[in-house]
Amino acid sequence: MTARTDTAAPAGSAPPRLSPAVLWQRANKSTLLMIGVIVVLFGAFGIASPTFLTFGNLSNLATQIAPAVVVGVAMTFVITSGQIDLSVGSTVAFVAATSAELLAAGLDSALVIPIGIAAGAFWGLVNGWFAAYHRIPPFVVTLATMSVIRGIALLRTEGFSVPIDNRLFLARIGDASFLGFSASAWIALVVAVAGAVLLYTTRFGQYITGIGSQEESVRRAGVNTRRVKMLALVLSGSAAGVAGLLIAARLGSGSANSAQGFELVVIAAVVLGGTDLFGGRGTIVGTLIGAVITGAIANGLTLLGMSPFLTPIVTGCVLILAIWINLRGRDMAELGARLLRRGS
Amino acid sequence: MAEKPPLVELRGIRKSFGAVTSLSGVDLTVGAGEVLGLVGDNGAGKSTLMKILAGALQHDSGDIAVNGRTVRLSSPADARREGIGIVYQDLALCDTIDVAGNLFLGREPRKGPFIDRAAMHAESARILADLHVRVSSTRQEIGQLSGGQRQTVAIARAVSLEPDLLILDEPTAALAVAEVESVLRLIGDVASRGVGVILITHRLQDLFRVCDRITVMYEGRSVDDAPIGDLDIEKLVAMITRSDPQKEERP
Repeated sequence: MTARTDTAAPAGSAPPRLSPAVLWQRANKSTLLMIGVIVVLFGAFGIASPTFLTFGNLSNLATQIAPAVVVGVAMTFVITSGQIDLSVGSTVAFVAATSAELLAAGLDSALVIPIGIAAGAFWGLVNGWFAAYHRIPPFVVTLATMSVIRGIALLRTEGFSVPIDNRLFLARIGDASFLGFSASAWIALVVAVAGAVLLYTTRFGQYITGIGSQEESVRRAGVNTRRVKMLALVLSGSAAGVAGLLIAARLGSGSANSAQGFELVVIAAVVLGGTDLFGGRGTIVGTLIGAVITGAIANGLTLLGMSPFLTPIVTGCVLILAIWINLRGRDMAELGARLLRRGS
Repeated sequence: MAEKPPLVELRGIRKSFGAVTSLSGVDLTVGAGEVLGLVGDNGAGKSTLMKILAGALQHDSGDIAVNGRTVRLSSPADARREGIGIVYQDLALCDTIDVAGNLFLGREPRKGPFIDRAAMHAESARILADLHVRVSSTRQEIGQLSGGQRQTVAIARAVSLEPDLLILDEPTAALAVAEVESVLRLIGDVASRGVGVILITHRLQDLFRVCDRITVMYEGRSVDDAPIGDLDIEKLVAMITRSDPQKEERP
């Protein structure tokens, strides 16, 4: 035998406990920052408009952001796995228009609801099949399907909005409320909780994170990474189906022109919340916060009597700001760690 | 009782890629609990040979025997079934997943549909403590560890699959001095559990620290095999480069 035992102490051996430094290291800096932004935003709008902080308006805000939360939670999976889905807005419009058509044709809500979600899942499957199994970048695939899906809905409805009889079950969901919040808001909350459980406590969630970080490592560990990536896009398609139904229910009509620019709002919410744009790190709470911020901006501007056409401009600017912060999240983390180390 | 067959024995392994002959007759043996250093200049065929042994490539001719039994390794899964584990140079870890998650990647313990994180962290802590690998917490993200710690986690993962033979491809390249020490000590720990280890490295001083025997490859052939005790660094360099002055000294 040779000299095997005469080695020095191993490198980097730190005490085995969760020190404040470790906790700070693990906290998502962008998410923490965004909580601060919410406080400032709500304070500012609250001062500028006496109605902003009323329960009625906050409940209204929850209803307004519900579709963005539902799709945002699914989009968190897509972006965390290192992909993107630009087709969600078109899928929302497709499902809203199609389900309104089916209801008008006399089909029961109990059938239209699952059909609407399945239609969304189908478009997600199409996206996922091309992206994961044919290695076409998801950006390109979903850019193309974004055009195709809305195109089909426009072709069928010729651009007309299809009304939904307000006595139908689906329309009644749009009006229903519980404890002062709409059914949409409660559904969004349930989706967010389910999304958090799926992302943080299951193998699927673990592989989504791993694939966004180093796909090859996960593949070599014996995981079917293509399937996981495809399922992420099926998830965002299905969520867009749910959002399409919610929007149709709330508006009492389905239009192929609805949810224009919706993908932008959703991606802004996800990235604003601190999910890494390049994958590997996702936060459902962050997405919820991001959706509240983008929603509050739109809601607040309307209350202040600003032109509704200002909203897309502000949302776009917020998206750029969010990405700017997202890309510098790591720098900020380093800065924070350095300050903390100096302090202790 | 007859002498026990070696853990793994390679005889006359040949491999060509089209017109290029990469391996032209390699013999190599490793015993249980033995650390074999595999050295040779760049392009000597070390990595190709190890990929064949790990089932990632298939050889053209020659025999591979595990515990005296000739085996066919047609896939990495075959190699794993024969108890052969490998840690590649790029480690195959996920930076944003914690230490325990990486140790159990692809085989996370479950409680119903959920990952049993408590069991995963407890088991990870046990695996790491067994191997004397020190990380401040199994909840730390891999991306925040040093190169040496990442290397030890990758080796610990391979060891936790309980291989009979562990192949390490350049585990000490690009590590700080103290980190090299902990990796070398880990290799010793692994071998002392009866696992055969093949160590590929360009750091010749490491070979003298942990290896029992050295096999030298040169232009696709195994040209020398010597116990470490018979060698010093000059002799070893001469064996790798095939320089003339040492030629008459070799048996």
